[in-house]
Amino acid sequence: MESVLLTVDAVADLQATGHGEIFVQELFAALQHPSNLLLLDVRNDEEFRLWRIEGRYTPETLHLPYFFFLEDEDNAVAQVKERIQDRRPVVVVCAKGGASGYVAERLRAHGVRAINLAGGMVEWGDFYDVRAVAQQPDYRIYQVDRVARGCVSWVFISRGEAAVVDPLRFGERYLKLLKQQGAQLKLLLDTHAHADHISSGPELAQMTGAAYHLHPYDAIHPFDMLPARMQYEMLHDGQRFTLGALQIEVIHTPGHTLGQVNFLVTTPDGEAFCCTGDNLFIESFGRPDLGGQGERWAPVVYDTIFGVMKRRVPARAWILPGHYASPAEANPDGLYMKRLEDLWRENRSLHFTDKERFVEFVLSHLPYMPPQYMEIKRVNIGLSNPSLDEADELELGKNICALSG
Amino acid sequence: MASIETATIQVDQELDVRGLNCPMPLVKARQAILKLDVGRILKVISTDRGSVKDFQGWAKAANNVTLLAQSEETDSGGKTLYLHYVQRTK
Repeated sequence: MESVLLTVDAVADLQATGHGEIFVQELFAALQHPSNLLLLDVRNDEEFRLWRIEGRYTPETLHLPYFFFLEDEDNAVAQVKERIQDRRPVVVVCAKGGASGYVAERLRAHGVRAINLAGGMVEWGDFYDVRAVAQQPDYRIYQVDRVARGCVSWVFISRGEAAVVDPLRFGERYLKLLKQQGAQLKLLLDTHAHADHISSGPELAQMTGAAYHLHPYDAIHPFDMLPARMQYEMLHDGQRFTLGALQIEVIHTPGHTLGQVNFLVTTPDGEAFCCTGDNLFIESFGRPDLGGQGERWAPVVYDTIFGVMKRRVPARAWILPGHYASPAEANPDGLYMKRLEDLWRENRSLHFTDKERFVEFVLSHLPYMPPQYMEIKRVNIGLSNPSLDEADELELGKNICALSG
Repeated sequence: MASIETATIQVDQELDVRGLNCPMPLVKARQAILKLDVGRILKVISTDRGSVKDFQGWAKAANNVTLLAQSEETDSGGKTLYLHYVQRTK
């Protein structure tokens, strides 16, 4: 058993040293392994329905709003104790860590091994997990994963130069990583204008002077039909960049959006990595309807996946996607990557040979479109400028960029 | 929750919990309502946005209060205030 955190003994140690709380990165690490903890979520019904903590191994979760502890403490504590008859540790979570701190303290007063998640869902939502994909003498690649949203970005570093693909909202996290690595930001690359999260590409470009790149088709809002109001360099199919010892090729992969591109990165040791954005995922692929043109764009998805990807991307290339729907899609190292040849075999939504049937399948598996997705696209091309609170609200919950079912 | 014009509500006591974060608005509202007689109405003034849904959930969970109304106001400094009108029923 590798995980020592959040076992009964570890919690007892935490308490002995006066620590009644853990931080999101510790909880995230603990959820990489099976654990015996009970997650007690004390937010109200609506917040709990909207999103909750999930991990590679999502622990048993009990939902009991904190006002039940205010109204009838004995009864609420009894409900918790009933679920932890084996004296398992309890991690208490709420929106910001205040109410859960209160509940954890009351539970401890009743002899329950309870710890508070510091900062609550706000901190959990803002947590970015950074882990190495490759660390070679000539290049390094990092996965930067916003775990609560299932959004993945990729950092390439070679000979002191860095590129970030699909940078997520908190740009300073990348600058911190690059500083640690002694690398200079050179390229900011978005695979497409995102609908589910706010890109920090334009902001990082302003902060660092690195150029921000987007395909011009995605610099027009698909609903408003208005052009972008921000600085960007136009990407085009076949364009090539050099980053230290790495070669980056731009491949136009329309379908999810009209201007979506993939970045095929080849290394001096013969490996290839393809950042697919919302084209191919480990499971499923990107939905074609977020621009309001699902019926027209679904056949384009087919041509991209079964035409462009088969023709242009080597079968041995590692696919590095922009999203996942479940942490179970990660490999044992927590990385969302798979070779393209394995994806053809293992991603069951790619088992099509007939375009008509594929389109029919896609159009009958379109999930609900969150209304804020239209506004997020405006933000990403400079048509709207939300406050911090508004940005938080736009990005609440998990991404819904893949097909359902 | 009934949609009542809040200006017509006869408030018996006001509780100012501006600046306090969850769970304090509810903790203090609970203490205050228990000091009121049955039928009396408490107006809670909060700056915590999360208190809106929490007061709704609390009113359902508790057996001695009704949430008569909720509204929003902006104070002179431009800050949003969340107002809750709670009646003790038991």
